[in-house]
Amino acid sequence: MNEIFLKLKNLNWLYFFLVSFLSFVGIVMIYSATSAMEMNIFFNHITKVFFGLIIMIIVSLIDMDFWKKNAFYFYLIFLILLVWASFYGHIGKGSRRWIEISGFYFQPSEFMKIFIILSLAKFFDEKKIKDPSDYFFLVLPILIVLLPVGLILRQPDLGTAAIILFICFLIFFIAGLSWKFFASIGFVMLMIAPYLWSLLKNYQKQRILTLFNPENDPLGSGYHIIQSQIAIGSGGVFGKGWMKGTQSHLDFLPEKHTDFIFSMLGEEFGFLGTLSVVGLIIVITSITYNIANKFNRDFFNRVLAYGLISNFFFAAMINMSMVIGLLPVVGLPLPLVSYGGSSMITYFIGFGLILSMDRKLKTNY
Amino acid sequence: MIDRKDNSQLLRKRSFVLGSLKTLFTLIVFGKLYHLQILDKLKYGKLSDLNRIKVKILYPERGIIYDLYNNPIALNKADFQLNIFREKADLINDYISSLSNVIKFSEQDLADLKENIKNKDLSDFIIMKKNLDWSQLERFELISNNFPFLIINQERARSYKNNFIFSHVIGYVGYRKDLKDKKLNNLKFGISGIEKLFDKKLLGKDGWIKLETNSKGRIKKELNKKISIPGENLKTNLIAPIQEYAYSLFKDINGAVVMIDCRNGGVNCLLSTPSFNNNEFSDGVTAEKWKLLVNNESKPLLNRCIAGLYAPGSTFKLITALYVLEHLNFNPNTKYFCSGFTEFGDRKFHCWKEEGHGLIDLKGAIKKSCDCYFYNLAKLINVDSLSEFSKNFSLGVSTRIDIPNELIGIMPNRKWKKKNKGERWQKGETLITVIGQGFMLATPLQITNMTATLASGKKIKPKILYSPDNIFENTEVSMKNLTFVRNAMYSVVNEYEGTAYSSRISGKYKLVGKTGTSQVRKISKEERELGVLKNEEIVYKLRDHSIFTGFAPHKNPKFAITVIAEHMGSGSKVAAPIAKKVMKFSLKNFLKK
Repeated sequence: MNEIFLKLKNLNWLYFFLVSFLSFVGIVMIYSATSAMEMNIFFNHITKVFFGLIIMIIVSLIDMDFWKKNAFYFYLIFLILLVWASFYGHIGKGSRRWIEISGFYFQPSEFMKIFIILSLAKFFDEKKIKDPSDYFFLVLPILIVLLPVGLILRQPDLGTAAIILFICFLIFFIAGLSWKFFASIGFVMLMIAPYLWSLLKNYQKQRILTLFNPENDPLGSGYHIIQSQIAIGSGGVFGKGWMKGTQSHLDFLPEKHTDFIFSMLGEEFGFLGTLSVVGLIIVITSITYNIANKFNRDFFNRVLAYGLISNFFFAAMINMSMVIGLLPVVGLPLPLVSYGGSSMITYFIGFGLILSMDRKLKTNY
Repeated sequence: MIDRKDNSQLLRKRSFVLGSLKTLFTLIVFGKLYHLQILDKLKYGKLSDLNRIKVKILYPERGIIYDLYNNPIALNKADFQLNIFREKADLINDYISSLSNVIKFSEQDLADLKENIKNKDLSDFIIMKKNLDWSQLERFELISNNFPFLIINQERARSYKNNFIFSHVIGYVGYRKDLKDKKLNNLKFGISGIEKLFDKKLLGKDGWIKLETNSKGRIKKELNKKISIPGENLKTNLIAPIQEYAYSLFKDINGAVVMIDCRNGGVNCLLSTPSFNNNEFSDGVTAEKWKLLVNNESKPLLNRCIAGLYAPGSTFKLITALYVLEHLNFNPNTKYFCSGFTEFGDRKFHCWKEEGHGLIDLKGAIKKSCDCYFYNLAKLINVDSLSEFSKNFSLGVSTRIDIPNELIGIMPNRKWKKKNKGERWQKGETLITVIGQGFMLATPLQITNMTATLASGKKIKPKILYSPDNIFENTEVSMKNLTFVRNAMYSVVNEYEGTAYSSRISGKYKLVGKTGTSQVRKISKEERELGVLKNEEIVYKLRDHSIFTGFAPHKNPKFAITVIAEHMGSGSKVAAPIAKKVMKFSLKNFLKK
């Protein structure tokens, strides 16, 4: 008991507070977004945030050595769950990706992100890159990535698969793979791009195309982007006020409590609101960088920290870019702010791991 | 093997690249946010308002038209209209087919709708259909959730209490195609009659309302509005019960009834039959129906009271008599012998009574409507002078009534004939002019105004629109002569052998007047020799019109009336009995009111 108390005392409470504050912003926005819906959606969200915060603390109290030791086991367990979900799971939002456990639905693909990052960090920590031109040892890490990605694509959940590939790509980069590797991957991608394009469903192609010219199809796929831009733009500097967004409350803004919550924030709290959230994300990211850099030669923790924070940062930025019309709409929530589910819990686990690293710094060094 | 130190250096380098990438990404997002929220704030603010705020024009309610005793003649009814958001116009065809078992769209509806789609006004709504009935409304209410962007709203539309009776005088409303300002597409303007003449007053002023709507096309709340101002109500001099009663006497008869208040010039009745349904016209009459009415031989669209031209016939003898008394110092006791015809030049001029009236004086000639007596007077008369004199009684000139399209008819003289016929005046033409035949034409209104002037001795200006005080100048005719004519009119109706004796009114208030027969064709010499045919024996279109004009009460006159029954023969047969009934009704109900 004493030990837990000590661990709690050593937690980076500022970091904890910043992360909690971001989820508080989410609660405030979801209250506004769901004001016309049933109340239990809001309470559901609060419950999940609360649950997530507890999980974050629990994860942070477990030492990093445990995570490092068991990384592959977790990976395997969730790979099996992912197989289960992809073949026998529930279908929602057009893809088979959910597992039901006593009334709760969760997506193994979301949790898989954490364990892929964890496994890659462990792999690159143990198997140092001996010769940058020796590609053979890359077979395992590539498999670690492609197995789950293949399953997720089968669900099909293009958005999650794409972000996992992207994050893994960054981890490979951080781990120090040579430029030649990336050049050859880039070349291969370019070669198969037309093939990949042909694999895309029509609506997915449409989404990508409308990005370049949303006005072309104002009532089809372009509609969401336009309405979202109108919502954000009309917020101006100070916004229309909490609960007073017309675009959101009159239902012009789609998916306002999930993917498009940032648009609603922009509408109700203006440039000051969006700037604050972007600022908060940058502060959290910078502190994480600071923690990671302190690990110096501890390759595992460092790569893991970069990987986890990149997962968070890019998800946030891609979501924002999507709702302001910089990137195609791929169905990616804003971390900790959007109406939560498995993805929100995943980010809390990620921040729990970072908190655990920070604690390790305080106790070991 | 790369040692750990190198490796961590590489890591540091790579993480720096990653950090820079993130910074760049952040800057791009920041830049875009700045662009949206600071630079383009106005544009997007406007777009968000366009999304939610829908403007609807509030059409003003048209002023109500009342009769003299505040009975409404033209009022407004609730009109439930189906509207669709203009921005969702592409849904219209789908909706029309899926609504088909609840609300049917007729050809006319579809044509109107097409017009409404084409005409862009200020409104963010397009009217799809007007005049929804209760069952349509109820059934639509049940399924309205399946039809976002459709809303029902209630307007006030013109509705006339009687479909036919006041159609000519009140007129009707409709759209004006010639409008330059297309801002108020669905505003109905007065197209004819009082509706047209006093349109500016009746119209009122439009307003607008801004509604907040959501993306599902539901109205959430009113934001602000400028309410429309209803048009002014109008009070007319018409007396609805009199006109309604007169109409009831005109079953299957074409003609007109005009009644003027001799004291203030108020037009109490202005009935023209056959008529048309002005409610149907106001809702938008179909082209077919319109064609049918225009080509109808009975001319239902013609307002006979002010634009129907008839030879005044013997009713004009009143003016001839007054003229000889006034201008020729004629002794009314002068007697002429009527043998049934008078010879003038090489022609025979016939009296309506084949066997003649015998020896008769002026009063008797009026009472029995002897033509020969007046032929003899004609020999003394200069037609130019008579024509000039007649103008005092609004014959050949406008009565200056306050509704448009009045015809002035013809009061012939030498100049007129030279100009219009290119010939010199024949003295013989004076003979038929003094008995109101020949070239002479007048409207029922002119004849009534003539009678009203005789009755009051004042230059009456008839008025439809009510105004409390109307003072008219006296005519220059002497009271003595006027009294003579009035007494002669008394004898026509109230003395035995008077032509309208059968139409007398018993009791304190007496009807006085003069019958007339308006010839539609000339009777040729051959026909004369074969014996004049009775009216019933001729083709309907060529039969004479039956006329009666008069006033009541004899002392202190109030109502002047003219009845014209087309192709109904002599005045005493049809027009006088109708005039009697209408007058009796008016005296009983409205003399002292």
